[in-house]
Amino acid sequence: MRDGINTAKRGLPSVALVTEDFWPQGNFTADSLGMPQVPRVKLPHPLAGTGQEHLRAVAKTMVPLIVEQLKND
Amino acid sequence: MTELMLANDESDALEVMHSAGMTDGLPVVIPTPERVASTVLASGQDADMQLGVMGPAGGVATIEKVAVAAVMAGCLTEHLPVVIAAVQAVLQDAFDLAQMQSTTHCTAPLIIVNGPGRLSCGPIASGFGALGPGHRANASIGRALRLCMINIGGAKAGESDMALLGHPGKFTYCLAEDEEHSPFAPMHQDLGYDIDETVVTVIGAEAPHSVIYSGDADDPQDAQKLLEVLAIGLANMATNNAVLTGGGAVVVLNPEHAKILADAGLDRAAILQRLFELTEYPTERLGYFAAGFASRIKDKTYRCFRRPQDILLLMAGGSGLYSMVMPSWCAGAHQNRYVSQRVELDLYCEIPGLGDA
Repeated sequence: MRDGINTAKRGLPSVALVTEDFWPQGNFTADSLGMPQVPRVKLPHPLAGTGQEHLRAVAKTMVPLIVEQLKND
Repeated sequence: MTELMLANDESDALEVMHSAGMTDGLPVVIPTPERVASTVLASGQDADMQLGVMGPAGGVATIEKVAVAAVMAGCLTEHLPVVIAAVQAVLQDAFDLAQMQSTTHCTAPLIIVNGPGRLSCGPIASGFGALGPGHRANASIGRALRLCMINIGGAKAGESDMALLGHPGKFTYCLAEDEEHSPFAPMHQDLGYDIDETVVTVIGAEAPHSVIYSGDADDPQDAQKLLEVLAIGLANMATNNAVLTGGGAVVVLNPEHAKILADAGLDRAAILQRLFELTEYPTERLGYFAAGFASRIKDKTYRCFRRPQDILLLMAGGSGLYSMVMPSWCAGAHQNRYVSQRVELDLYCEIPGLGDA
């Protein structure tokens, strides 16, 4: 979330990727850093260590959502 | 000014504060305006003096807000200089407080106190059970820092503090070095401070891990074997120090173990150098447990620490078989550096009726 906010503050199109277990922390960080509306996409948790095949499947599902967020103003 | 909350009486106030998530789960002393004002007055500083911004919530740590936490934690006014210095320490950039508060690791700020303030601001225990219950200054000072981290820094479990389980040191984690009985120079002196200064050194650390070693004066390898078991505890393959590498860590020698090393002619620098060398491992071994982390290392061996001085070494506790080591998180922009802060003892005044005088 912090990375997404930092790139957004530089004027670059940004989407923060946040796993579902960290969704509340992401909201907290976005509020604390003064960008509560920063675009974000919720990913399943856990991701780390779940294997290449699973990560590819998650990416396939999530890429359209990320692109959709990037198209928004 | 800090926002004033209202309640019918102190019992009601306690429940209000528990419900608002302002406590650590234990009862607190209610920070009434009178108690906070007395504490601010005793600090000798202005209530609105700002010590810095505390992450991840970005609250401004003023003397008044720190005084609120100190009152809640049960501090005496003489504890206040150490509490304020501890807050200043974790607000140093190198401490990476916002990241440290947010991590899934269990890290908690361990406060180590050196210098004459160990007595005048406490006494802050350094002997038997110094990290256990029963020592008011140790308990209150560490707790006050934690309450600042909750109420100014905004650390809430599962919401902004993502520690998967945490550890009991997240309630309070404070001790002094037993300088009077240590065979080594006081730790703060080796960190570059004058021996007469009072200094807090704070590092985000895991809970203490016990290291057993039964000395044998007839064994010429006595000191070497002790160093080897300390190194195993400090950076075994289950620690971030061995996997992430590059962070800090703490060794708390008990007097018996300190004597074994001192009798072998080792001072603090020599001990740290040996621990630095003994925590060099085959990269292949790391690859077995953590291939991703091992892939960034090109050499056949790797060191868990970047330099010997990244390990803090002090003597504390009762005499016996057990020393303690505290591995660390090793992450954040500065990779879990320790920070030191001089304690200002000259700013404080006695309040008639509050001190011993």
